[in-house]
Amino acid sequence: MNRILSACKKLGVVSVAVGFTRSRDQMVRFSNNSITVVNSWQNEVPTVYLASNGKRAACRIEEQEGVEFESIARELVDSMKVIPRGDVDFDLPKGPFIYQEIEGIYDKRLTEIDTGLIDAAEVAINSARKEGAERVSGVVISGSWEHFVLTSAGAEGSNRGTEIEITVRAFANEDATGQGISIATNLDRFHPAEAGVSAGSIARKARGAKAGISGKYNVVFGPAIFADLVDRVADSASAYTVDLGLSFFQNTLGKRVASEKFSLNDNGRLPNGPGSISLDDEGFPTGEIHLIAKGILENYLHTSYTAAKHNAQPTGSAQFEGGLAGMVPAPRNLIVEPGEHQFGDLLDGAGSGLYITNNWYTRFQNYQTGDFSTICRDGVFEIRDGKLGNPVKGLRVSDNMIRILQSIEALSKERQWIRWWEVPTPTLTPYVLVRDVGITTASK
Amino acid sequence: MEDEARLAVEQALKSGAAYVEARAQRDVGHTLTLNNGVAEPVTTTRRLGIGIRVIVDGSMGFASTNSLESSQIRTSAETAVRIAKAAARLISTPSKLAPEKSWEDEWEVRMKIDIRQVSIQEKFNELLSIEKALSFEQVNVSLPSRILVLDDELTEKFYLNSEGSKISGIVPRISLFFILTGEEKGKGSIQRIRHEAQTRGWEAVKEWNAPAIAAGEARILGRMLRDGIQPPRGEIDLVLGSEVTGIICHESCGHPQEADRILGREGAQAGESYVKREMIGKRIGSEHVTIIDDPTLPNSYGFYKYDDEGVKAGPRTLIKDGIISDLLHNRETAAEFGVSSNAAARSVAYDREPIIRMANTFMKPGDHTLDELVEDIKSGVYMKSFMEWNIDDRRYNQRYVGLEAYTIENGKIGTPVRNPILEVTTPGLYGSVDAVGKEMEYSGATCGKGDPQQGAPVWTGGPPIRIHKIHLGG
Repeated sequence: MNRILSACKKLGVVSVAVGFTRSRDQMVRFSNNSITVVNSWQNEVPTVYLASNGKRAACRIEEQEGVEFESIARELVDSMKVIPRGDVDFDLPKGPFIYQEIEGIYDKRLTEIDTGLIDAAEVAINSARKEGAERVSGVVISGSWEHFVLTSAGAEGSNRGTEIEITVRAFANEDATGQGISIATNLDRFHPAEAGVSAGSIARKARGAKAGISGKYNVVFGPAIFADLVDRVADSASAYTVDLGLSFFQNTLGKRVASEKFSLNDNGRLPNGPGSISLDDEGFPTGEIHLIAKGILENYLHTSYTAAKHNAQPTGSAQFEGGLAGMVPAPRNLIVEPGEHQFGDLLDGAGSGLYITNNWYTRFQNYQTGDFSTICRDGVFEIRDGKLGNPVKGLRVSDNMIRILQSIEALSKERQWIRWWEVPTPTLTPYVLVRDVGITTASK
Repeated sequence: MEDEARLAVEQALKSGAAYVEARAQRDVGHTLTLNNGVAEPVTTTRRLGIGIRVIVDGSMGFASTNSLESSQIRTSAETAVRIAKAAARLISTPSKLAPEKSWEDEWEVRMKIDIRQVSIQEKFNELLSIEKALSFEQVNVSLPSRILVLDDELTEKFYLNSEGSKISGIVPRISLFFILTGEEKGKGSIQRIRHEAQTRGWEAVKEWNAPAIAAGEARILGRMLRDGIQPPRGEIDLVLGSEVTGIICHESCGHPQEADRILGREGAQAGESYVKREMIGKRIGSEHVTIIDDPTLPNSYGFYKYDDEGVKAGPRTLIKDGIISDLLHNRETAAEFGVSSNAAARSVAYDREPIIRMANTFMKPGDHTLDELVEDIKSGVYMKSFMEWNIDDRRYNQRYVGLEAYTIENGKIGTPVRNPILEVTTPGLYGSVDAVGKEMEYSGATCGKGDPQQGAPVWTGGPPIRIHKIHLGG
């Protein structure tokens, strides 16, 4: 890291952030009650982010053999010379910083778990089958990581962590399915059996679903589908997305964007948080950011670059992503504040409507307006007279994101951590009752 | 890379593997972005590593590392074997591979203008010329957001398996992606995503005339904003443009005919399929519908000569005259179905296992011009392009919301309409195709599948098609 930093500085670069991640991950995938493949990855990856005179460049170096960091630095600096000047000058956050340890994000047992993941898969499969699943699919993932950051502005720090997660999908018959999830940073909080029970139980109850009907419904969103919506909300609260014109939160800072019952934070240093890390990729300490407080949009997520553009402060949200932007502001652990209700209260509040457990394939017609649709997946149930009724299928939520946020009527006390294939950011969310949600179906 | 791959195969065999393949892969790519005329960082990605896949006791293991040191390669090979062995106790259907011919070959997609020789400045100049073409004076519409992205990537692969295949390949890919937001006072905003992409050198960019494409798209946004009216609702005749035909073929034919989905292997992630084994040979659409997936289309974004299991690629006819025909197979699913692989196994990086993917999926053209498709329609809609779309995880219930769209009145394309919604089942859609156009177009796309996600370069395409009596409106 020091070699890269000094090579860049020698070439006259003003701001340099060097990152280095060493990771070991394993994944067990299963379907039809049987393991299909076991994966193992081992990687060491340096990243470089440069800024000078408003121009920026970035490189992810996922190779180790014969790499000449000096020549990579020269290539990046040369590219910066010829690109158009950027719109703002900025400095990386000035260090040094003190990074406080985060409780519960490293469990040595997870670095040695090895084939223990196969046992977790077996436990989940068996518990889902006991609940009535005929077939069970899923994935168990564990990993350990060490992350180092060194910047030209005097920030230097490191962190390490572990993670384990399981997604279980149970099939009680072809289109009666349910999903269960458990994610944790330590083994004691990891519950594959519960994930299997949850998946199997939803699948069993979803048997015999009839085709749903288009219309407006009071909807109780389960944690998995609401986490997906919250992920889109957090994307829109990234200053980078706002600047791209791909946010439904443009020009709404300080304004009401949601029901007063809805508050959303991003907390990068949450104890036991699956996405927790003590420093961001510009070396700035992570912390808790209030994105939406009682319905008011309070903050965007920032890197030092977007903060300079918006006349704001960095939020410890910088993540090296390469691709389009190099360094982007992105959430770590999304936390929806709980409500005061039991799940049954939400059903009561809905009166008649739908309980939707999960979704996939969310796409926007217009990112600025927030017009979107997403497909209901796994168990969907009618709510009749405040009680769960028959399963239904073939439904799509077709609505507007701001309208949904503003129509939140109640949230449960109970919350669940969600992260899976469709929801990349760890999200802690309750069940949520939303009024008059647009639901559509296929016509033919 | 050959020495490293050979070491991996030898070590895995020594450790007890019945089958081994090793793929060393290097990718070097650049991404340049202009956001409203301001340069985002020039980003470079350099990846080099090796992925080793084994079968032991009917159990499949995959291990990868980005260290090519001998000791690390040995460790990774041993790891692949060890974890596969450990999983064998929880396997009810042992993995086996359909027998395939072994190949020794070196292949390369030759570039007329090598992307490595094109300077960053020249690449940015291309983006700046697009930006210039999008001024209000040029396109007569306000574009408050203009995101222009130019990507290039050069991939070198060396593939070796324990059955004697030895294949090296070099593939350059280049893509231009843009998102435009048009806005008109009192009319709101519209967003358009367009993706041009090929497996070629810089000459592809020279041929695209991207400034003209982008300006054309911008002018269309202006027209839709200024003149767009509510679309008709209810049962109508609908003509879909090539872009919409392409996404339909990809989503509701290509994906559900991936054999791994049919076998349930993607059940917890990308989902399964409405297509079952017993549906092969059964009618799913009208006799006008023939859909092909072909990795060997010259210059196509999804081009390859051999797949990542070393099987030689060729076209696959997924639906023939309305009948479900070929599935997309790798060697594992081919063995399960008792057929040969049709070379659909692809991996996007050294650290990803090869899985079944589409390449370039399109509807076979018919013999109608666009004018002929609309001339018999008294009242209908022409949906030329789309923005929002999605489909359920069995690939049965899908939705496409039109972007550039017009009424059809008395056999002529008429007034722009805003956001017509087609929400329909797969057999409902394919069963209603009553005429197919002859003018082919393809779009670049990145197809998502796998866990971890693998974004695979593909083309989607086809001619305009006519759908008889379909409900529009959502």
